[in-house]
Amino acid sequence: MQRSDVVVIGAGPAGMAAAATAAGHGASVTVLDEQSRPGGQIYRDVDRAGPARAAILGRDYLHGARLSGELRAAGITHIDGAEVWAIEGQGRVSYTRRGCAAQIEAGRLILATGALERPMPVPGWTLPGVMTAGAGQILLKQSGVLARRAVLVGCGPLLYLVAAQMVRAGTPPVALIETQTRHDLTGAARHMGGALRGWRHLAKGLRLLAEIRRAGVPRYTGARGIEIEGTDRAQAVICQSGGKTHRIACDTVLLHHGVVPNTQAARSIGVRHRWDAAQHCFAPVLDTWGGAEGAEALIAGDGAGIGGAVVAELSGRIAALRAVEQLGRITEGERDRLAAPLLRARGRERAVRPFLDAAYPPFAEALAPADSTIICRCEEVTAGDIRGYARLGCLGPNQAKAFGRPGMGPCQGRYCGLSVTGLLAQANGQTPDETGYMRVRPPLKPVTLGALAQMDGTGDGAR
Amino acid sequence: MQADYAIIGGGVVGLSIAWGLLTRGKRVIVVDGGDGAFRASRGNFGLVWVQSKGMEQPRYARWSQQSAGIWAEFADTLGDETGHHAALEQKGGYDLHFSEETLQATARKYEALKAELGGDYPYDVLGHNALRKEEPHIGPKVVGAILHHQDGHVNPLRLLMALAAGVRQRGGVVLNGKTVTGVTKPDGFCVRCSDGAEVRAEKLILAAGLGAAALGPMLGFRAPVRPQRGQVLITEKLPKMINRPSLIARQVDEGGIQIGATNEEVGHDDGVTQPGLSGLAAEAIAAYPALARAQLVRSWGALRVLTPDGLPIYQESREMPGAFLVTCHSGITLAAAHARLLPDWLERTDAAPDLEVFSEDRFAVS
Repeated sequence: MQRSDVVVIGAGPAGMAAAATAAGHGASVTVLDEQSRPGGQIYRDVDRAGPARAAILGRDYLHGARLSGELRAAGITHIDGAEVWAIEGQGRVSYTRRGCAAQIEAGRLILATGALERPMPVPGWTLPGVMTAGAGQILLKQSGVLARRAVLVGCGPLLYLVAAQMVRAGTPPVALIETQTRHDLTGAARHMGGALRGWRHLAKGLRLLAEIRRAGVPRYTGARGIEIEGTDRAQAVICQSGGKTHRIACDTVLLHHGVVPNTQAARSIGVRHRWDAAQHCFAPVLDTWGGAEGAEALIAGDGAGIGGAVVAELSGRIAALRAVEQLGRITEGERDRLAAPLLRARGRERAVRPFLDAAYPPFAEALAPADSTIICRCEEVTAGDIRGYARLGCLGPNQAKAFGRPGMGPCQGRYCGLSVTGLLAQANGQTPDETGYMRVRPPLKPVTLGALAQMDGTGDGAR
Repeated sequence: MQADYAIIGGGVVGLSIAWGLLTRGKRVIVVDGGDGAFRASRGNFGLVWVQSKGMEQPRYARWSQQSAGIWAEFADTLGDETGHHAALEQKGGYDLHFSEETLQATARKYEALKAELGGDYPYDVLGHNALRKEEPHIGPKVVGAILHHQDGHVNPLRLLMALAAGVRQRGGVVLNGKTVTGVTKPDGFCVRCSDGAEVRAEKLILAAGLGAAALGPMLGFRAPVRPQRGQVLITEKLPKMINRPSLIARQVDEGGIQIGATNEEVGHDDGVTQPGLSGLAAEAIAAYPALARAQLVRSWGALRVLTPDGLPIYQESREMPGAFLVTCHSGITLAAAHARLLPDWLERTDAAPDLEVFSEDRFAVS
């Protein structure tokens, strides 16, 4: 079996920074990443983007190029296209690459699995032609492909960013339908103190909005009653805004109402998670360094709680310092000295979060969808079905799964998990923490039985 | 008195008994655990199985046969009244063999058991070619199989849901998310829960699976049950490729292939391990080579509830008459017997089945 002092899962900003920092202190490092190029979602394919696409995607994106360059440092093995499907014991990681299964033993494990877009179940969201705004952006980053006649629906900084990128690319969206209200923004103002410290983010947001406005993209704010119309594909978005009902014809709908930590890997090894009321999602319970409660792992980046790319990078470096200290490569004193400026910088960066979280809350209708709205796309389970399981005594998502299969399909609850917990919590009058979350089991990503069988007799555990 | 019966345990065993008692007009309250409780009802392999049961104790073979024999009627009644059908299929099942020796040795044991059961043990020994006619996807390493005609399988999760719905529909009360902390019998039984809830009933049934080990002694039972882990795999949904179930693999009604199961003595650890998964995958591929290309969607570990000899326990408490212990490994196979036959034993009617051999006295230290 392969072995590395440090194994990092994920090559986004947190993973790349963690790998570079650990290697910088002489540790052998292996980075396992699903993508074929480093960068994660935010810096996807950053080392390959030509100058024209780079201009569309903006300056922040190019910061990722410097980070991905650090991955080429000595001591780092970057295994691309690696789908991690099991993590066991103290850090035995099983993954598949090009159909072949392999294992690596980690001295210290750093999870940098990033964020997922929050599912946005509104009527019609499963129609062809509807995707997440992030998926639309991936098309742009990876292939330069742009959605034509697209409507962006939801809220949050990414929505503006994608809209601005579409404007720059010469294919502005047909409309921007925003779910946040004036009340959200005024309520968020009490967090302005912190936000002023993160003024850079806000200035950036205003620049994006100005770009969108100059391009003449109509904006519908405080939108309610959002529905996607269409028979076999999306044809229009219906919404109420400013006291009127609007019908906006389109070919593509890009949905987005924030991102949430991708907690699957952490949950699979028993890391304790807690509901974060401000961010409306579960996050792992961690110490300053990213050390997880309940399992031997460090967690960095948006998987540790949504903080954005800069926080992710800093957290990656901080977690790596802890890892190399645990490996005996630096003393606690050196660790603390090296970490001090990083911790200060992270504190400054995090200051803007309360404002952003309050200004762009998730869309209320998508947190309490109508009975007929599908929640689990894989198994076609509706919100009404889940409320019915609650009436049959399901206090949590694991019994609900047994009753109606939500979360049992190929995605294993990655996309419906939060919705199922949310609906059961509402129906039973319990908190999300009391309701709990689906038990995450291997495989974290699908693996063939053939690949599994290849490993028979090579592992060192007992059957 | 709130109820005639309080049942501790809202899994398939507890709910089958509850539903059966409700059909007899009894008032029933079920006290069930939380979402994360160890639940064999959610992790099992879904077989309604006769072969290999009771090789040393023909009464157990007979009890399994009795249950399998009335399963269809039970499933239809429950399905019709709740709208949740358990997808029962009883077209026989296989014991697959990779060596001629083990196949013949098993056949000899079955022949002996058949004689003890008066000839009622319908099975055929199939060689590779005969098996291949039944199961075109079978691999060359399988030398043959025993096809037992009383075997079958169900969707155990739908059974669980149907029971949960059926018990409520018939007026049963189910309290979920409870942890039982004690039982007293001042005047009838009083079950106390950690959240302060109290349930009072004339009689009490302990059907708490592994929980019986801790609760049993309070009621005067030995309750010698221990966990045994079984790791199980399920693939993506596939076109029909397996006609009859075996202990190695079965195709569930939704299309996935369920592959089982390890037998591991690891205490209350219900995790899965790569060596466990790889071993099961290798065995399944040896049986059905086409499975090598199938995607694994999920795996899980579940804890069997085992007695020292693997047989059920049906026992009334001597210290607290009116309290009954019911525990078994085969809650799915025996669900029909628990719903339809056990109420007679609990109520001591003339139709009560003879369950003497399943008394826990058999574990008395001599």
